[in-house]
Amino acid sequence: MLLKIAWKNIWRNSTRSLVVIIAVALGLWAGVFASAFVKGMMKKKIENVIKLEMSDFQIHQPQFRDEFLPKLFISNEDSIRKNINLENGVIASSGRIISNAMIATSKKSGAAKIVGINPENEALVTGLDEHLLEGNFFSKSKRNPILLSKDLAEDYKLKLRSKIILTLQDLEGEIISVSFRVVGIYETENSLFDKLNLFVKQEDLRRAMNIPENSVHEIAVALNDHDLAEPLAEKYQKEYSNLEVKAWLDLATGMRFMVEAMDVYLFYIVGIILLALLFSILNTMLMAVLERVREIGMLMAVGMTKSQIFSMIMLETVMLALIGGPVGLLLSYAFVNYFGEQGINLSGAGYDQAGFAPMVHPYLDSISYLQVAIMVIVMAIVAAIYPARKALKLRPVEAIRKI
Amino acid sequence: MSNLVIETQKVFKTYDGVVPVHAVKGVDLQIKDDEFTAIIGPSGSGKTTLLNIIGGLDRPSSGSVKINGKELNNLSENELIQFRLKHIGFVFQSYNLIPVLTAKENTEFIMLLQKVAKKERDERVLKLLEEVGLKDKINNKPSQLSGGQQQRVAVARALASRPDFVLADEPTANLDSKSTTTLLDIMSRLNKEEGITFIFSTHDQRVIDRARRVITLEDGQIVSDVYQNQ
Repeated sequence: MLLKIAWKNIWRNSTRSLVVIIAVALGLWAGVFASAFVKGMMKKKIENVIKLEMSDFQIHQPQFRDEFLPKLFISNEDSIRKNINLENGVIASSGRIISNAMIATSKKSGAAKIVGINPENEALVTGLDEHLLEGNFFSKSKRNPILLSKDLAEDYKLKLRSKIILTLQDLEGEIISVSFRVVGIYETENSLFDKLNLFVKQEDLRRAMNIPENSVHEIAVALNDHDLAEPLAEKYQKEYSNLEVKAWLDLATGMRFMVEAMDVYLFYIVGIILLALLFSILNTMLMAVLERVREIGMLMAVGMTKSQIFSMIMLETVMLALIGGPVGLLLSYAFVNYFGEQGINLSGAGYDQAGFAPMVHPYLDSISYLQVAIMVIVMAIVAAIYPARKALKLRPVEAIRKI
Repeated sequence: MSNLVIETQKVFKTYDGVVPVHAVKGVDLQIKDDEFTAIIGPSGSGKTTLLNIIGGLDRPSSGSVKINGKELNNLSENELIQFRLKHIGFVFQSYNLIPVLTAKENTEFIMLLQKVAKKERDERVLKLLEEVGLKDKINNKPSQLSGGQQQRVAVARALASRPDFVLADEPTANLDSKSTTTLLDIMSRLNKEEGITFIFSTHDQRVIDRARRVITLEDGQIVSDVYQNQ
């Protein structure tokens, strides 16, 4: 009975109810889409960070990441990688020799990070070869080949086959200069990464820096499930206790902060939208109650209990939210799916400068949809409490003035 | 022999304020079943306050109100609501039907609150709407009915709960002459044929003329109590 009356009541003033329903739908759409947009952006960023920069976990000498000294190398690369590659869930691993260097060309000089890689392993771990724009990925046997980004190439006015001089420190701390020739130009979606990293063949850098055979500064491991990163890092930390084994989230501490900050940011965005909706519904329901003072008084007079009146007003409010909610969720789902496929191109907005991909694919898991739906229902219930209590405070004799 | 339905003893009602208003002053009243009683008096004489007290919508400042021997002063707020639901029918001056419900649904509403079975509800709604001459308007909403028809639905609604008596506050105040006559005919017939007790407050001479008992209030006190049309 209450359901039927509540349902009919919300259509007394269909325009007003429709405005609320549309407000709920649009508010929900805005909240969900904003969440999906940010989550999509973060997902891509995390994927990029894992894929290109950090891999799922890395192994170093404990002080290497702080001091960056050539002598802080891992001396048994082969056995470690062989052991790790046998682990379930490991796609591949790659050893790297790393050094800071000064770049010098005929036009300009500057600082960069030189990474000595094994091209085959690196392709499996980072897929760096997929980002190649011109040239080759160390496939032709040339002396001291180097791969650099399009950004750096433009910055230093370099092109394929240009010569570049790298000045770096060798194992003994001596400053050495080595000449390289550009064989490939790459571009990723992370311009920060692009501006910092130059890639050379591991044996060339080993020879130049005098790093012993079977020794690297870093072993990067790619997994088929990122959730395995932390447990496996913990496992191998115990196995190689003299080394430092860290999962990507602990390596990219800024990412952890960013993920947490984005969650807070989303919480506030959705919270503000829900708060606005709450007041919109509260206002509507309060009007609906105040317009029906006489009728509610009559209902109490003829025998409707306070709990029934309270439930009736609550039901009306929840129904409004339950109509607007699914409409908003469907709208959101359609938008998230469409733009999830098509992507939203933000090139030129400067996102890539902050390390984000310029093409954002909004993404939201089904749990998040459910969470938002629950939040909307809770919000509707909260919004209904004040008008419903207002109705309860009416005394039938005052509400109808006369019997 | 008739039973005593309503009995008030020394009922006083004072509204506190800067200047306290003594709306009802020591009313002793006994109403038996089958009565068709009009409570009349000038504005401010205490008619409405007395009806509110008898109907359990307001509590007296002092004195006793018994309905079928049950003291209303001893009932809690919730018990009073339940009591009104089971024992008292109300007809309001401005009909006060639920605008979103049809005539059938408005009549059925009280029985839904009483949790009456559907079959019984359907039968009683049909019977009541037939009695008030609105069988053909069963699916009309209040906005599709005239004032007189709405008030007849209100009477059907008041009777749906099988109350001990019906309180009607100036039921004809908003009706034209023809609708008033129709309504009075219906109520009079229900009183005579089915023994339903009606108590009105009214200014309407046509209602007063049809009443079998007329109680006159002035300044919160009963100044005359006359039986007529016996």
